[in-house]
Amino acid sequence: MTRLRLLAGFAAIGAGALFAWSCEPHPVLAPTIGGPQFHFLVFQCQPLKMTGGGRIDFPPGTADKNPPASHIFETFGAHVIASGQVVDGTCVADKGELEWVDHRDEMRLNGSPLNLHATAVTFAELAVDTDCSDGAVHWGGQLRVQNTGQEGLHFEVWDCDNGEPGAGHDGFAIRVIEPIDGLGHYEVMCPDESLPPAEPSCTLTGGNRQFHPTH
Amino acid sequence: MMKIRFAGLVLLLALPWSLHGQGLAKAESFGVAVRTATVNQQSPAAVLPPDGSVVQTQANDVTVGTFVTAQDAFATATGASDGALSDAVSSATLGTVNILNGLITADGVVAMASSTVGNSNAEGSSLGNLVVNGVPLNDPAPNTRVDLPGVGYALLNEQIPTSGGITVNMIHVILQQPVLGLFGQVTGVRTIGDIIVGSATSSVN
Repeated sequence: MTRLRLLAGFAAIGAGALFAWSCEPHPVLAPTIGGPQFHFLVFQCQPLKMTGGGRIDFPPGTADKNPPASHIFETFGAHVIASGQVVDGTCVADKGELEWVDHRDEMRLNGSPLNLHATAVTFAELAVDTDCSDGAVHWGGQLRVQNTGQEGLHFEVWDCDNGEPGAGHDGFAIRVIEPIDGLGHYEVMCPDESLPPAEPSCTLTGGNRQFHPTH
Repeated sequence: MMKIRFAGLVLLLALPWSLHGQGLAKAESFGVAVRTATVNQQSPAAVLPPDGSVVQTQANDVTVGTFVTAQDAFATATGASDGALSDAVSSATLGTVNILNGLITADGVVAMASSTVGNSNAEGSSLGNLVVNGVPLNDPAPNTRVDLPGVGYALLNEQIPTSGGITVNMIHVILQQPVLGLFGQVTGVRTIGDIIVGSATSSVN
C-alpha cells in the first residue's frame, strides 16, 4: 500500500510538472530578427479564442485614418481558437482563419490589391506581457497569396483586444516569413513602443478585436 | 429530492439555448446593389455564418447595366456569438466607382460596421475622391443628402441605427420619377429604385 501511495505521489508530481511545463513560456514561431522588442515576448498556452476584424492605416498605423484617396490602409477579418494543448513544444491552434487585403497601390499584384488567405492556422499562444486590457494572442500558420496562387507561406500575427470600441484601442500586426513573389518581404508591423496598446501591433482605425478567455 | 434533480436537468438543457439567445452576432456586407423594376443585383456579398468565422468574397470588376461599374470590390463578414463577449464586424471596400455614367464617381470606398454588446459604430468608413454631379465632396458627414435633378437624390455616408447594431451605406442613390397629374403637371415624385455602393451591417442582440 505504501509503495502504491509512493507511486501515485510520483505520478502526481510528474503530471504537475507536465502541466506547469505546458503553461510556461516557450518559443513557437517567435522571430529573433525584426520581431517584437517590447511586448509579445512572454506567452502561456491556454484555451482561448480571438475574433473580429477591422481596418489599419499603415503606415504609420496610428489611430488616425490616412486620406481616403491615398489607398494607404489594410482591411481584414481573422479568428483563432485554441484548446491550450502543447504538441512538440508548440501551443497548437484548433482552427482559425485570416482574410487580409492591403489596398496600397504599391502592393497590387496582378492588377488587384494584395489578398492573403490563411490555409492553415497552426499555433496560438496567449501573450501575458502586453498592455492589452482584455487579452493578446500571438498566432499564425500558413497562407496563400490569392493574387498569384503562391502557397505555403508562413505567417504570424500579433493580436490585441484593448477594450471597446476597437477603433483607436485594439491592435493587429502581420508578418509573412517567406518573400511574396513580386513583392518580396511583407509585413504590417508598428515597432514603436509609444504606439498603444502593444508593440508591434498597429492601432485599429475601424472594426474590433474580441478576446474570449475560453471557448 | 427528485424534483430538484429534474429542475437541475431542465436548467442544464435550457442553458445552451439561453446563451444562444443572448448576444447573437450578425454581420453582412456587399459591394454593389441595384434594385429597380427590372434589375435586382448584388455583388459581391458576405454573410456571417451562424457558427461564426470569417467570410470574404471578391470581384475584380462589377458592372450592373448602365447603373454602376466598380473595381476591386471585397466584402467581409466576421464575428462570434458568445453572450456578453459577442462581436460582429463587416466591411465592404471598393476601388474606382462610377455611378450613372459619371454622375457620381469615387476612388476608395470603405464601409465598415462594428458591434459588441451595447456598442455599434461605423468607424473605419471613408469615401475617397468623391465627386457628385461635378462637385468634389471631401469626407461627407453622416447622412449627407445631395439632390440629383432628374434622377432623385443621394445619401452619402448613410448611417442607420438598427436593433443592437448599425447599417452603413457609403453611397445610396434613390431613383425617383415625377408623378404627373391629369393635365400633365407634376404633382409629386415616386421612388422607382435605388443603388447602393459600399454597405456594411453588424449587430449583437
